[in-house]
Amino acid sequence: MEDLAQAAIDAALKTGVSFADIRIENSTTTIIELNDGVTRQSMASRMKGAGIRAFIDGAWAFAQTTNLTSEGMRTTGESVAKLALATREKVAEKFVIDGPTFDAKVKLNVKKPFDSVSIEEKMGFVQMIDNQARDFDERIVSTRTIYGELSSEIFIANSLGTRIALQNAIPRVISIPTAKEGPNRQRIQQSISFRSGFEEMETEEAQNIGTKAAKLAIDLLASKSAEGGIYDVVLDPALNGVVTHEAFGHATEADNWPAHSTVLEEKINEKVGPDYLSISDDPTLTGMRGSTEYDWEGTKTKKRRMVKDGILTDLLHSLETSSRLELEPNGAARAQSFMHVPLPRMSNTFMEPGDWDVDELIEDMKHGILLCSFNYGYTQSAKGQFMFQASHGYMIENGEKETMVRDVSLAGNILEVLAKVDAIGKDFELEGGTCGKDGQSVPIMTGGPHARIRQVPVGGM
Amino acid sequence: MKERLLEIAETAVKMAEKLGASQAEAYVGQSRAFAIDAENSAIRNAEEKRDAGIGIRTIIGKKIGFAFVTTLSDDDVREAVTMSVKLAKVSIPDPDFVSLPSDDNSYPTVKGLFDKNIAELPSEVTADMIIRVIDASKQVLEGRDYAISAGVQSSSGMNAVVNSLGISCSGARSSILLYSSPIVKETDDQTESYDYQLTRDLSEIDPEKIGENAAHLTLKLLGPKTIEGGEMPVVFAPLGAATVIGHGFAGAVSAEEVQKGRSYISDAFGDTIASENLEIVDDALLTAGLGSRSFDAEGYPAQRTSIIEKGVLKGLLHNSYTANKDGVQNTGNASRPSYAGLPSISTSNFIISPGKGTLDDLVSEIDKGVLCRNTADRPNMTTGDLSAMLYEGFYIERGEIKHPVKNTLVGINMRDLLQRISRVGSDTTTTLAMITPSFVVESATVTSG
Repeated sequence: MEDLAQAAIDAALKTGVSFADIRIENSTTTIIELNDGVTRQSMASRMKGAGIRAFIDGAWAFAQTTNLTSEGMRTTGESVAKLALATREKVAEKFVIDGPTFDAKVKLNVKKPFDSVSIEEKMGFVQMIDNQARDFDERIVSTRTIYGELSSEIFIANSLGTRIALQNAIPRVISIPTAKEGPNRQRIQQSISFRSGFEEMETEEAQNIGTKAAKLAIDLLASKSAEGGIYDVVLDPALNGVVTHEAFGHATEADNWPAHSTVLEEKINEKVGPDYLSISDDPTLTGMRGSTEYDWEGTKTKKRRMVKDGILTDLLHSLETSSRLELEPNGAARAQSFMHVPLPRMSNTFMEPGDWDVDELIEDMKHGILLCSFNYGYTQSAKGQFMFQASHGYMIENGEKETMVRDVSLAGNILEVLAKVDAIGKDFELEGGTCGKDGQSVPIMTGGPHARIRQVPVGGM
Repeated sequence: MKERLLEIAETAVKMAEKLGASQAEAYVGQSRAFAIDAENSAIRNAEEKRDAGIGIRTIIGKKIGFAFVTTLSDDDVREAVTMSVKLAKVSIPDPDFVSLPSDDNSYPTVKGLFDKNIAELPSEVTADMIIRVIDASKQVLEGRDYAISAGVQSSSGMNAVVNSLGISCSGARSSILLYSSPIVKETDDQTESYDYQLTRDLSEIDPEKIGENAAHLTLKLLGPKTIEGGEMPVVFAPLGAATVIGHGFAGAVSAEEVQKGRSYISDAFGDTIASENLEIVDDALLTAGLGSRSFDAEGYPAQRTSIIEKGVLKGLLHNSYTANKDGVQNTGNASRPSYAGLPSISTSNFIISPGKGTLDDLVSEIDKGVLCRNTADRPNMTTGDLSAMLYEGFYIERGEIKHPVKNTLVGINMRDLLQRISRVGSDTTTTLAMITPSFVVESATVTSG
């Protein structure tokens, strides 16, 4: 592997660029999906190839190849370098790529490697969860259960001298039942995923996810649409995590600075929220979906404290952004696969817990909504505008949880909304998810405590 | 190239049969994409991606397996075929599966899918396009604080589908995408918008027009305000319309979603589900259409399908599986992202027939309402409930656009939205999701704050 990487880097440098790097990947995935008790898909795949980058003066070029021979490495290294040289005259700003070098082979230790569990056993697991959801209540009219596993080996090298071998393993189970009563139909999604072997699919929580999802779908049948208006809201850990990730995390990705595409551009070391608010991204947590010891450029990862006591402190860096902004690299460059360019990305993102007891936080409210879990959400970093949809929620009247409501949307502006966070719970939870940026999806986790936000627009029917 | 892809696919199908598959299908895809992107108004990155791989679906009785690999080397293809058959063996039989499609029909001719000029576009010409689109945006924004992102991507490729029932087809296609996305800053405000062009015909590309438009659109969004909410009409411009209908309604007429009871229009076939102003077709045969093709992702002939006529639901989108299950004609709407996935169902060119009037005409008829130029929101597909943030929205008073809005949401159920389309314009626009003019929904709940 090292020889192949070296051949590509040598070829690129010889052609005349100042920096080159390579990611050689060999990954396999298996996906088993059941719909209403029958197999919808049983899929296996192998991703095998290399992505090579070349850089000179501020111009990047990228190419990929699946020809993993010294000849393939040489030709691709050369052609990608030529491409960078061809655009070097048209860049806005010249800069140099620099950073510390690392040399390590990281082995991921899991209790039950995926290949030690037979495909029949995995099929049995999916079938069990699918049946569980369907058997929960006769109003569950449709079930969908998906098991997926990814195991990958990545070798990363660059012309500064970095040589990193990484391993990853991520299983995931998702249960999506639909409940129906009369014309009323409700669908809910619940999932569990960690960085581990098959053992995380054998926990009590994972083994009962079908029941949990089905119960929620049945409960939703009795829910009502919320009335649109301005409300005080409490976000549960799952939704708080997504809001923190989408509305704030993306705006701290340091590639936004050279591109001038974040509302936080002028806010480094300035106050962006109340003193009791802290937001972090931590890829060094053990066993989490977004965790990795080194990033996809081979930089050792660190915990990033984006907001510490209300002040914007850390950004998420790739080698390019830390070089250009003259800040310390923190290993946030990730790519979906060898076919993609590494970009500054989040890993496990969360609001740090505060000092409110969750019950007190709700009891202290006159009229509002507790918003739970999420269907989806997105943000526009340049405008700071965001939108989220909770999968369900509960009206709060005089400190009591009342009627269940569904599909409640929350819209706002990053900088305005952080200032409105007035109480943060002591509790803490992380949930698995997938984050998309520039057409690349990467596994992440998001979470935090319950948090209360005053006076935000909530959309209803 | 074409012969080679077909040969690889045929070999894989034969191999699968030898390993015990009763039916097999191979989808081979090969593509090249060349892209340049710019940030802060200058070129930053160039990419050349060559991709080739194979996906193999195998069937044993009513049990189905699938595997794909990102190379076309003999060893990797053999491994993928073996895995696919292995997975089929352990799958739970699907009683509704009948058969892969067979070779009974001839293929329509669809013109304009491949443009040699795009496939062979020199990198200097591509670089020149991005410089032109940036310059055009710059001219409009002169004297302001701005940063322009822009991109150009040309792609070309070929796919081949072969199955054990005699299907054997292949086709080439190409397209080019050019966009500009300016960010403009003022003391207390910062905003962005974009404009793009995606086409199969190189001669249609107009960098100056895209660049200027993108800049004008961005300037219009400066100084957004919240408004007083309530029930009011909403004008959907083509981008907003395309998200709400192209995703939010197209997904609901997928036969798979309807059969599974997951669509908010289940059981409505033949009913009047929309206002009589609404007419929608799915037309795979449109010359040079972005979704055009002569065969679908299972190698079945593509066609034109009427979805809504005078408000009545006339058709659903089918692939071979859903058509066999319902015992109806396949509409050739099987789709897959590439070789890396099983066929699902999606639109080809989803088209709302134009009515009368420009977007300005539609706005001029509104006493008090909002204009949704763009939104990224989709409804809950099971209930039809839609809560859409006005990603780019404006407040309308006495027939005129007053100002852009912020933190503003439109809430409505899709079944009501379809019934309340009171006007359809004639400003037909091709977007990524569909081809549509602007339309007016006579009332929806607007929340802002």
